[in-house]
Amino acid sequence: MHNHTPRQGQERFVAPTVSSELPALHVDTSHPPENQWKQAWKALRQNWIFWFSASLLVIILFVVLFPNLLTSVDPRTADLSNSLGKPQAGHIFGFDRQGYDVFSRTIHGARASVIIGFLTTIIVTIIGLFTGAMAGFFGGWLDTIVSRGADIFFAIPLLLAAIVGLSALNNVWPDRGYWGGVFAVIIALAVFGWPQITRIARGAVLEIKHLEFVDAARSLGASKWRNLFTHIIPNALPPVIVTATVSLGVYIVAEATLSFLGIGLPPSVVSWGNDIAAAQPQVRSGDNLHVLFFPAGALAITVLSFMLLGDAVRDALDPKARK
Amino acid sequence: MWRYIVRRLLQTIPVILGATLLIYALVFLQPGDPIVALFGEKPVSDAVRAELEAQYNLDQPFLIQWLLFLKGALVGDFGVSYSGQPVSELIGRTLPVTFQLAFMAMIIEAILGVIAGFYAGMRRGKIFDSTMLVVSLIVIAIPIFVLGFGLQLIFGVQLQWVPPTVGSNTSFTNLILPAVVLGLVSFAYVLRLTRTSVIENLTADHVRTARAHGVSDGLVNRRHVLRNSLIPVVTFLGADLGTLMAGAVVTEGIFNINGIGNLAYQAILRGENPTVVSVVTVMVLIYVVASLLVDLLYAALDPRIRYA
Repeated sequence: MHNHTPRQGQERFVAPTVSSELPALHVDTSHPPENQWKQAWKALRQNWIFWFSASLLVIILFVVLFPNLLTSVDPRTADLSNSLGKPQAGHIFGFDRQGYDVFSRTIHGARASVIIGFLTTIIVTIIGLFTGAMAGFFGGWLDTIVSRGADIFFAIPLLLAAIVGLSALNNVWPDRGYWGGVFAVIIALAVFGWPQITRIARGAVLEIKHLEFVDAARSLGASKWRNLFTHIIPNALPPVIVTATVSLGVYIVAEATLSFLGIGLPPSVVSWGNDIAAAQPQVRSGDNLHVLFFPAGALAITVLSFMLLGDAVRDALDPKARK
Repeated sequence: MWRYIVRRLLQTIPVILGATLLIYALVFLQPGDPIVALFGEKPVSDAVRAELEAQYNLDQPFLIQWLLFLKGALVGDFGVSYSGQPVSELIGRTLPVTFQLAFMAMIIEAILGVIAGFYAGMRRGKIFDSTMLVVSLIVIAIPIFVLGFGLQLIFGVQLQWVPPTVGSNTSFTNLILPAVVLGLVSFAYVLRLTRTSVIENLTADHVRTARAHGVSDGLVNRRHVLRNSLIPVVTFLGADLGTLMAGAVVTEGIFNINGIGNLAYQAILRGENPTVVSVVTVMVLIYVVASLLVDLLYAALDPRIRYA
């Protein structure tokens, strides 16, 4: 409707004005834009590397949880008359020098490696995410303390630090059995492993905290803590998750290396690292390769699965990397 | 620039102090008496004990011990090991060997990794790229001691191209195989890092602009793609020197090289506390200096970075 009535005493032409209601803004709330996690999951589903590594990891997890379904041979019972026996029917991986069944040892050895990899990564990620997010978000003296602290732990090479830490633990806590041995390795790796995640989380939070949507949330009255937990940390997660997935494999290798050096898991613990270390002298001349091949191969496949999964997750979470 | 260097140097002081204190606490704040360990089953007279405690500062409180250690370390005097050798001498004998080894490993990983990563990135998805990705994953996934052992078996024992163990003759040719083994894992990381960053840079605006200006492909690839892709690689290599020094523990063990890694490992096993803290201090110093150099190298590689 047009309001075209000139005012009193005003004969001049007045431009017609429209006084209709503002057209309603049509926001389709039934289909909200997909969040990044959904998009990432979509990208992940289309990546064959993800399915390949995920199925390998499911198999490995099965081996860790139900070793007795795969072998009925006790990994701790040795028969010296079988020493260095070649692979044969019923003992498809053969025997090692002590006469242990290599197949059984390889199956049962998965547990220590995978548990150490998982728990170390979880602990390191929790500590790193918390310290890194606090340092990046609050800045100031908190940032200085956390960053310098991370520098201190980062400056000592991980392997060397873990060796020193474990030898200290050996004195304080000797004869620690299976779980004690596993947790000692986890502690040694976690104490010196967290700064890596701290640095990445801090960097991500620093980048995000100045973005518009954070300001928008604040101007709408969101508190500091609400902003931190609902907006900043979830958006800082992708690089942390990628690093964590890859470092899971690195920690498994680190455990094997420590056990190889004779300072990681106690010799009584059935683990790939211990078996590889024990196999080394038997293979010096190039014979008896089966003793080394199977535990080393199992370790390599496990680490490879986590590396591939990390690659796939990185591609899925980074929009730039998507084709 | 100078102000930046000074500030950066000042920043390293708390890191060095903290890291040495941390290692010192781990090594010395343990139950057990090193002097008893030194004598084994034999009884120790009080006079000898007092003298030894004074010699190793064991009669001082922990923090004073640490400060006395730092005071000596400042002038390169790391004290005497429990077996009676000056630690500086032990380090002076072993560090050059490990330096040579780590330096060779770094050259190998940097040159091969950058070249392979560059070509893989330029030909993304082609056969060379896929092969390199698989190779790098395998190298990362197989523990270095298995790889080292395998290569030692093939080239040292079977083919006899190189001596299987190095021993005291640390000549260039003898160290090639250990250096390859030491640098192998980092080679894989350098390759992947270079590849990713080449792929990123290939689609960058400045590269497209340069091509649109008619700059030749070779020149664009070298000056704009490769040079920009090197920035993350240099960061990695700087931090990697520390990893290589620590990785030497394993490599030197396999090939029987008398380097600082072997020294550290033996010292830890034998409870030679003065040697352990000294070696770790040296490694921390190397790490700190390397990361400082990397920060300064940035300016040469990336003109956008200016130090205020």
